[in-house]
Amino acid sequence: MSERELFLVGLSHHSAPIEVRERVALSGDALKAALQELVRAEAASEALVVSTCNRVEVLVHAASDAAARAFFTERAADARAHLYAKRGVDAVRHFFRVAASLDSMVVGEQQILGQVKEAYGVACAAGTAGAFLSRLCNHAFATAKRVRTETEIGRGITSLSQVAVELVEKIFGDLAGRAILLAGAGKMGALSAKALAGLGADRLLVANRSPERGLALAAQVHGAFRAWEELPRLLVEADVILVSTGADRHVITKEMVQAAMKARRDRSMCLIDLSVPRNVDPACAEVMDVYAYDVDDLEKVVAGTREARQEEATRAERLVEADVLAFVQERRARAALPVLGKLRRQAEQLARAEAERTLAQLGGLDERGRRSVEAMAQAIVNKLLHAPTARLKKAAACGDAELPAAAAQLFGIEPDAPDAAPAPAAGEPERRAGPDDASRAGSPDAARLSS
Amino acid sequence: MSIIVLRTATILYALAAVLYVAYFARPRHARLATAGFSALAAAFVVHAVAIGAGCSEFGGKEFFTVRGGMILAVWLAAGAYLVLHKLYRLPSVGAFVVPLALVALIPTALTDPSHPDVPAELVRNAAFHVTAAVLAVALFGIAFGVALMYLLQEREVKGKRFGALFSRLPSLGTLDRLNQRLVRAGFVAFTLALLAGTLNAAAFWKSYWSWDPQQVSSLAIWALYATMVQLRHRGWHGRRYAVLTVVGFVVLAGAMGAVQSFPGATRHTGDYGMRAAAPTEVLP
Repeated sequence: MSERELFLVGLSHHSAPIEVRERVALSGDALKAALQELVRAEAASEALVVSTCNRVEVLVHAASDAAARAFFTERAADARAHLYAKRGVDAVRHFFRVAASLDSMVVGEQQILGQVKEAYGVACAAGTAGAFLSRLCNHAFATAKRVRTETEIGRGITSLSQVAVELVEKIFGDLAGRAILLAGAGKMGALSAKALAGLGADRLLVANRSPERGLALAAQVHGAFRAWEELPRLLVEADVILVSTGADRHVITKEMVQAAMKARRDRSMCLIDLSVPRNVDPACAEVMDVYAYDVDDLEKVVAGTREARQEEATRAERLVEADVLAFVQERRARAALPVLGKLRRQAEQLARAEAERTLAQLGGLDERGRRSVEAMAQAIVNKLLHAPTARLKKAAACGDAELPAAAAQLFGIEPDAPDAAPAPAAGEPERRAGPDDASRAGSPDAARLSS
Repeated sequence: MSIIVLRTATILYALAAVLYVAYFARPRHARLATAGFSALAAAFVVHAVAIGAGCSEFGGKEFFTVRGGMILAVWLAAGAYLVLHKLYRLPSVGAFVVPLALVALIPTALTDPSHPDVPAELVRNAAFHVTAAVLAVALFGIAFGVALMYLLQEREVKGKRFGALFSRLPSLGTLDRLNQRLVRAGFVAFTLALLAGTLNAAAFWKSYWSWDPQQVSSLAIWALYATMVQLRHRGWHGRRYAVLTVVGFVVLAGAMGAVQSFPGATRHTGDYGMRAAAPTEVLP
C-alpha cells in the first residue's frame, strides 16, 4: 500500500529575498495550526516546519510533497520561483546540513541548532512529529553536536560588533565603573554599543552633531545625550569611544587624544573607528595606553574566522555525509522488518497450532509435559528463522530490496501489506486512500525511505 | 632527609609547570589547568614538609642562607599563587609564574643544604624579619611575571595581532590590577621586614643603622617600591607601571646578587656579627 518518504520543500537566504521569506515565516500558534494543516490531508503523515529569519523549510513524511508546496504557495504566490524541493536521501542530507550549520549564512553559527530543536519541539507539541521525524531529528541533532565538537567550525568571531566586544574585553577586562561614548549616529556604532552592554559599563554617552538624531539614538540604546561640542571633555570621561559619523575627515585627532590622556592621568582609552572614511586619525594609536582600531582591523578578524571555518566546513561535510548514510541504511534495515515480522508471526502461529493439535492427540499430559511440547515447537521456529532473519537484516542494510521481496514470495507473505494495521472489520470503511496514489508508483526505490 | 623531600617537591613543581604550559598551548583542554592546580597544591604541601624537616634538622639556620631563602621564597610564591588562583581564576598566569618558581627552586634542589652558625636566639628573633622579607621578594617576583605578561599582551593589543597569545593571555585591565595588588602587598611585607630587621639590628648589633651594604640596598629598594606605590596612587598604570615593575624586580635581584657576591661586605653573610667572617651566602 502506501509508501511514505521524506520530502523537504523550502526557501532560504540562498534562494529567496527577504521580502519573500518574511511572508512565509511563522511562529507560535500560527505555526502549530500550519503544522496540523500539513498533516490533515493524509493520515499518519508527519510534518515539521523550520522557520528562522534566514529560512523557512517544510519537512513532511508523507506520500507526496503536495501539502508542503501548498504551504508556500498559499502564503506567497511568488514563492514558487524561489522554492527548492528535495526528497529521500537528499532531503535527509539537507536537513542534517542545516542543523549542523553548514547551510547557514555564517557557516558554523550556533543559533540554528537551537532553532531546529525548537521547531521539533513545536511539531511534537502540535502532534505532527511521529516516529520517523523524531528519529530524523535525533540523528540530526547528534550529527550537529559531533560537527561542533569534532571540528572547529564554531570557533572564532563572525561579526564586527563581536570583534569590538572582544577587543574591549582584552583591554579592560570588564567595564565596571567605566563609560562608553558613542560618537555619531551610524548604524554600526549603535550595534556595537548594544553588544558592549554585556560588559557592564556604568554609563553610555551619546554625542551627535544633530541633537534630534542624537536624542533619538540615546533613547534607543538607553544612553545619555551630550552635545557634540563637549567631545574633548567626553574623551576624558569615556574609556571606550565608538566613532561612527558620516564626516569625511578626522573628528578625533592625535592632539585631542594627547590632551585627553593627560587629563585622564593616562588611564587606558580604546578608540574604535567604525566609519568609512575614517573619523579617527590613525596617529592616535601612537599615544601610550591608547588603543585605536578601524573597520579594517575588525574586518580582518572576521575574515580570518571565515577562512578558518571554510576549511573546517570540508571536514564537517564528510562527517555529515557519513551520518546521512548511516541513517539511511538504518531506515532500509527497518524496511525489511515488516517481512520479518510477518514471517515470524506466521511461523509462530503454525507452531502453536501444531503444538495444540499434538497435545490434543496425546491427551492427559501434565502441565510440565504440555510446556515441553510448546517449548519444542517454539525452539524449532527460532532455530529455523535465525539464519533468514540475520541475512534479511544484512541485505536490507546494504540497500538490497531483492532479498526481502524474494523471502516474502518464498514464504508466501504479502510484502506491501501494512504490517501493524489490523484487517478492517466488517462494516468498517476501508482505509482511506491518499489523494495521489498514482504518483507513488513512480517514486524511485533508491530514494525511498519508508518506515 | 629534608633534601629528598625537597627534590620530590621540585618534581611536583616541574609537573605543575608542564601542565600549566600545556594548558596555555591548548586552552580548550581545561582539565590540564585543573591538573596543574592539583600538582601545584601537592608540590606546596610536600614543600612545606621539606621546610619542616629542614627546620628540625638544622634548627632553622638553613634559611639564613641565600639557598634557604630561595626555598622559602618559592614556597611562599606557590602559596600566594594558590590563593590568587582561588580569588581570580587565572590559570594562564600559572603558565608564567610556576616555571619561574621552578627555575628558582632547581639550583637549591641540586645543592646540599648548608647552614651558617647562627645563634638559636637570633634564629628565633629574626624569624619574622626573614619570613617577611622573603614573602616580599616572592610577591615582587609574581608581580614581575604578571608585568611581563602585561607587556606581552600590550604588544599584541597595540599591534593588532589577534592571534594565539592575544586570546590566551588575560586582559590588560586584569593584569594591571593584579600587578598593582601584588606590588602593594609586597610593599607592605617589605616594610614590615625592614622594621623587624631594624629592631633585630638594634638588639644584636647594638645599632639601628650601621651602613651595612644590605641595609643600604634594602632601603634603596624600599624607596623604589614606595615610589611605585605612590605613583600608582597618583594614577600611573598600564604599560608604564608594568615596565616599572619589571625594572624594580631586576634592580632588587641585581642588588641582592651584588651585595652577596662580595664576601664580608655585609654582616648578613653567615656570622651576623657574632663571629669572625665565615663566608656563606646569606639572604637580605
